[in-house]
Amino acid sequence: MATPATSPPSHTVSTISINPLLLNTVNVSPLPLLALLYSKPKNARVKRALDEREPKLVENEKTCIFVSGNKTSERIRDAMKDMNSMKRPYAINFSKKNDIHPFDDASSLEFFSGKNDASLFVTGLHSKKRPHDLVLTRMFDGRVLDQIELGIDSYRSMAEVDTPKASVGTRPLMVFHSDLFDTHPTFTHLKSYLLDFYNGHHETAIPLASVEHVISVTAGPVEGSLEEGAALPKVHVRVYTIKLLASGSKVPRVQLTEMGPSMDLTIRRVAEADSETMKAAMKRPRISQKDLDSGLGKKRKNIETDDMGDKVGRIHVGKQDLSKLQSRKMKSLKIGRKERKAAEADADADAAGNDSGMDED
Amino acid sequence: MDVSQQLADYAAANAAEVLERPTPVELDTGLLAAYDTTPVDADEYKAALEPHLLALTLTSTQALLAGLFSLPTKSSEHGPVAQLADPTFVLPREKPLPKPKPLTKWERFANAKGISHVKKDKKVWDDERQEWVARWGRDGKNKDAEDQWLHEVKNNGSDPTIDPRATAKAERKARTEKNAKQHARNLAEAAASPLSTLDRKPTAGTASQGEKANARSIRKAELDRGMLVSKVSTASLGRFDKSIEGEPRVKGIKRKFETNLGDHASEKASAMDVLNRLGTAERKRAPKKGGSGVEGGVNTRKAVRYEERAAQLANRRDGKSGGGRGGRGGKSGRGGRK
Repeated sequence: MATPATSPPSHTVSTISINPLLLNTVNVSPLPLLALLYSKPKNARVKRALDEREPKLVENEKTCIFVSGNKTSERIRDAMKDMNSMKRPYAINFSKKNDIHPFDDASSLEFFSGKNDASLFVTGLHSKKRPHDLVLTRMFDGRVLDQIELGIDSYRSMAEVDTPKASVGTRPLMVFHSDLFDTHPTFTHLKSYLLDFYNGHHETAIPLASVEHVISVTAGPVEGSLEEGAALPKVHVRVYTIKLLASGSKVPRVQLTEMGPSMDLTIRRVAEADSETMKAAMKRPRISQKDLDSGLGKKRKNIETDDMGDKVGRIHVGKQDLSKLQSRKMKSLKIGRKERKAAEADADADAAGNDSGMDED
Repeated sequence: MDVSQQLADYAAANAAEVLERPTPVELDTGLLAAYDTTPVDADEYKAALEPHLLALTLTSTQALLAGLFSLPTKSSEHGPVAQLADPTFVLPREKPLPKPKPLTKWERFANAKGISHVKKDKKVWDDERQEWVARWGRDGKNKDAEDQWLHEVKNNGSDPTIDPRATAKAERKARTEKNAKQHARNLAEAAASPLSTLDRKPTAGTASQGEKANARSIRKAELDRGMLVSKVSTASLGRFDKSIEGEPRVKGIKRKFETNLGDHASEKASAMDVLNRLGTAERKRAPKKGGSGVEGGVNTRKAVRYEERAAQLANRRDGKSGGGRGGRGGKSGRGGRK
């Protein structure tokens, strides 16, 4: 039942004066604002590039940026050059100096990481306090995950050793010697970084013939205690090329030749990852067997690379209309003027017949 | 460098003697790595570092290769390809796990109602044209109504002056518009959903477009609010301040009125609510309805309670017990205001 139209409107809410303390509750509706700010990529190329940077179930190989600080030494430059050549093609070299001190302020690294979609950093520095300083930084989600600072005590570059080198882009074997890599957190951290650096991207299969070199990482023997503040044993990094010799069995005999670089490293400062971030970084996706079998994130349909290294795609062009195929041109096969006229007249008559049919409907 | 040195170097380079290890070398073929967990021999290390490192590397590399060559292989044009196992040493990811795509409003509704989604084909069969045509877009089937050469005007009293072609087109445009609006709303809602698994602000680098837009809008709202607060934070509550061009307007809560021709019951309820608060309703209603304890002009319930109270007070005075229960709480208005 309706109330009489003359009755005064009932006020449910009266006006309020604006109180500064109430302003937090002022209704600033986010939705129209968001709709305005949400911008789509302008074209397909940009969209692909942006999609490539989104988090993926099966991740791409980590890219490393090599950046030097305000002051570097020749040893540091050589070391970065050699590390770069072994990391290629997933390496970006910054040729200019940058005012970077990763342990004090890693914001520039985070910026570089965002710009280049890179998550590994090697920063070369040299100072009186910390000569020949190499800072290894790892990122997660665009932020610094952990860092380790190494001093290069002695260095022998690849160029100094006159031996054959491994080809670019081949995956090294990595061997770690010493129990410290299992027991000491700093050494485990270093092992994790180095593995991540060269072999972090898990391949499901490798051709056995592609094994060309091995990176050997050895921690020196423990002298005295490993307590806080005590000097940690040195770390020796050597790289050898592998020659496989027949041994009479399935497993070949190995011969090693030094390839360079070889470094003796001292561990300096370490910034461990905070446990919560590390936990998030260690999360593994649950991938169903069906997705794995269909080659999730790896298999590209109809795109192949041929022997020349060219990308070849296969596309479906539909069934060819053979009736319109141009066969050999001969006078006897030619349609004459008369025949053409007759054919056109036939077509017209057909069309007229159809039209009249429609009119009747 | 004399000949003996060269010979020694050559011998070292061609060494193939594998060291005895007390614990076998751990293999992690997934990462092409081997971990020799035996502590490094201090004497050997000090006496001859390089040959010792070479010997160690040779030992572990030999073990690793033995492991790799024993893996199942597939043949390829590049020779046998070893199928690697999953890594045992877990390395951190580069980016967090991808979040599932947020559902649209329709998808949420369909899930709740158990409606299964059937994806529409892009092409539909046109019986007249005898071919598959696009459902929308160029020469789309959705333009059939406006493109037909003859429009039937039904003899049902509808206005014959209305252009059916324009009407059909306007309807189609309205549908498109509505869909665009819904799409924008879904995007905005998706962007406003929780940012990250870690609940951190997204960075410039890896945050998705939506997250970035969301972070920006949140920041903008914060700034707007801060500005409004600062404006009314002067002694005169901002009365004499100059206003800046384009500054956000203070939006208060809007007054709402109920319709004149409304539901009688709800109006009565709200009116009674007001009267209840004034207390007049109680007074008016009590004698008529009789109340819950009124008999012959005496409120028996009140009388009983009065007696009880008196007895309690007497008890307390005697010091027998600490006290009974307190009186009931004040009367509260029923059906409170919204």
